[in-house]
Amino acid sequence: MVPVAEHPVDTDAQQRFADEAIGYLDTLYRGALRLTRDPAQAEDLVQDTYVRALRYQGSYQVGTNMKAWLFAIMRNLFWDRFKGGRPDDVSLDGDGEFALYDTLKDPTAVPEADVLDRIAAEEVVRAVEKLPELHREVVLLVDVEGFSYKDAADVLGVPIGTVMSRLHRARRQLQRSLYDYASESGIVHEQGSGS
Amino acid sequence: MNCRDCVEKLHRYVDRELTDVEVAEVKRHLEDCPPCEETYQLQVHVKRLVKVCCDQGAAPEKLRSRLRQILY
Repeated sequence: MVPVAEHPVDTDAQQRFADEAIGYLDTLYRGALRLTRDPAQAEDLVQDTYVRALRYQGSYQVGTNMKAWLFAIMRNLFWDRFKGGRPDDVSLDGDGEFALYDTLKDPTAVPEADVLDRIAAEEVVRAVEKLPELHREVVLLVDVEGFSYKDAADVLGVPIGTVMSRLHRARRQLQRSLYDYASESGIVHEQGSGS
Repeated sequence: MNCRDCVEKLHRYVDRELTDVEVAEVKRHLEDCPPCEETYQLQVHVKRLVKVCCDQGAAPEKLRSRLRQILY
């Protein structure tokens, strides 16, 4: 049997695979930056992702979602390399983060829509990067990359319900971070006035 | 639909993950409920802001060159 994954013989197919894969470079790099928060580590992570993708291209089914496939590889590498293992235990969601969530239930502690427009882009990125990794990666997949819950769940290897609960908490925390920034920087007063 | 049901569905509404029937229910509620409409607008706004702000910038050229050598 020809070892397709290691020594592809179909050069056209190889070319198509490479073309499609390289087309996701910018989006993968931005994702890697958000995950690692470090440009050098992001480069390493992306390069390793492509090396692994190339090695396992035999497992990629042409016509399926290559972006999701690449993100799944990158996400798993990120946890393996930088976090000492994948978070396959759903209970990681619990405890401290539930407590945090509970403290965020004050409905007045959210910024108004017009206030958001006055927050600098780098502050929004900072707020995203402050999220715990488990929440950050869901925001990255669903909000930045536009993945469906199902595709995000496949990338992360968790049930759709877990995607939803992490997303809810992440967004709540994001709103809080943006509100705090708006308050501290004088864009909005504590009581929620947009003026 | 009451406000609690609406808010519970808002994330999925924003993410286009509801069925057509559910979308119609949420829409109807939002038309009649300014507080829920405000919550909805905020969620849409934050989602859009995150997308716009985090989706900028290209990969470094030296990385692109290295990957071309690896891939081709």
